[in-house]
Amino acid sequence: MNEFVLALGWFGLYAPVALGAIGSAWGCALGGSAAIGAMLDTDGGYGRFIGVSLMPSSQVIYGIVIMFTLQHDAMTAEIGAATFGIGILSGFALLFTGVRQGEVLASAIHASKAKPEIFGVSLAPAAVLEGFSVFALVFALVLAGSIPG
Amino acid sequence: MSERFRYITLATSLPHLGSLFSQAKVPLSEFRLKQRVKMLSPEHQRLLNRVIEVTAWSGVARFANDQDVIRLARVVIDDLKDNPTLQDLVRARMETRTAIAALRLRHDGQEDAGTISEWGFGRWCRQIETHWTDPGFGLSHFMPWISEANRLIQAGEHIAMERLVLGEVFSQLDHHGAGHDFDFEAIVIYVLRWVIVERWSRYSTDAARERLETLVGDILTPPTAADTARENPRPEEVLS
Repeated sequence: MNEFVLALGWFGLYAPVALGAIGSAWGCALGGSAAIGAMLDTDGGYGRFIGVSLMPSSQVIYGIVIMFTLQHDAMTAEIGAATFGIGILSGFALLFTGVRQGEVLASAIHASKAKPEIFGVSLAPAAVLEGFSVFALVFALVLAGSIPG
Repeated sequence: MSERFRYITLATSLPHLGSLFSQAKVPLSEFRLKQRVKMLSPEHQRLLNRVIEVTAWSGVARFANDQDVIRLARVVIDDLKDNPTLQDLVRARMETRTAIAALRLRHDGQEDAGTISEWGFGRWCRQIETHWTDPGFGLSHFMPWISEANRLIQAGEHIAMERLVLGEVFSQLDHHGAGHDFDFEAIVIYVLRWVIVERWSRYSTDAARERLETLVGDILTPPTAADTARENPRPEEVLS
């Protein structure tokens, strides 16, 4: 039983990075596909399309920060259980926000191509999703600080 | 490239068409459009061509009678079994055509619907048959535009009628396109919109050419005494 909890602890420790990376990869692929399509139709402003399509890459960075915060000198059953809970849930939050951010960025790129003046405003939903990722990061850090040992 | 990413790239590579009567020319040439839709899978390209075949005027114009068009519509609807939105779209277009055909037949003096199954399609056939003498075939509640279409046909205002019908079809496409941004349905609806915008722009070009030819003809024709008098009126004629 003890070994199983330790295994879950290691699983939870790496989960924010792995799930955050999946979310970032998926989100960047969605946004990137839209940016490539938009570049076929426009004669300029390629940089801004590619730039916003990379916005979901922050999720994996948050995942790395959470992983280092959860890391302890030794993995005990108590630490393992806490690490599993915080790591898995924050990882899923990063995965979900990454994918959804990619979707709203694709819509934003598509819409701002037709109406360039809404480019900035159309990024607001993606910024809100980024805020949710930051919530997941900050409260994972807060909870990680209360793990004994 | 996975299906979803392919559709995102394709949808964002197509320029915004804008509202129907706002553009003098199509923002994307036919050549470019054909190039872009090559991103679709071969099966989706085939389905797209089938939908265009049954919905665009150029597709159905090659058929000698209405029954062939109705048969084709049924085959295409069966073919689109994985895309219920497109099935609804084809049905709606055929029903609109049936209503317009009924208006034209009645305007041409037909006293009843006759064998409506030979030229009509969809759920309103029976309604049209039983309400033949009603200006809107009793469908004004479901098709608010039909009364106006009837008035325009009676008045012989063909351009206004064409404009009304194209506007209605454009609205239908908007309705069916809701909730489809980056998928096969979105691409099909875009292409159907493009077909309508292109058709309207061609009308405008033709009308402009006709007008230009009339003006050139007027200039090249030697002026008559009456024309000279009209072009150089006496002061009292200008003020009157």
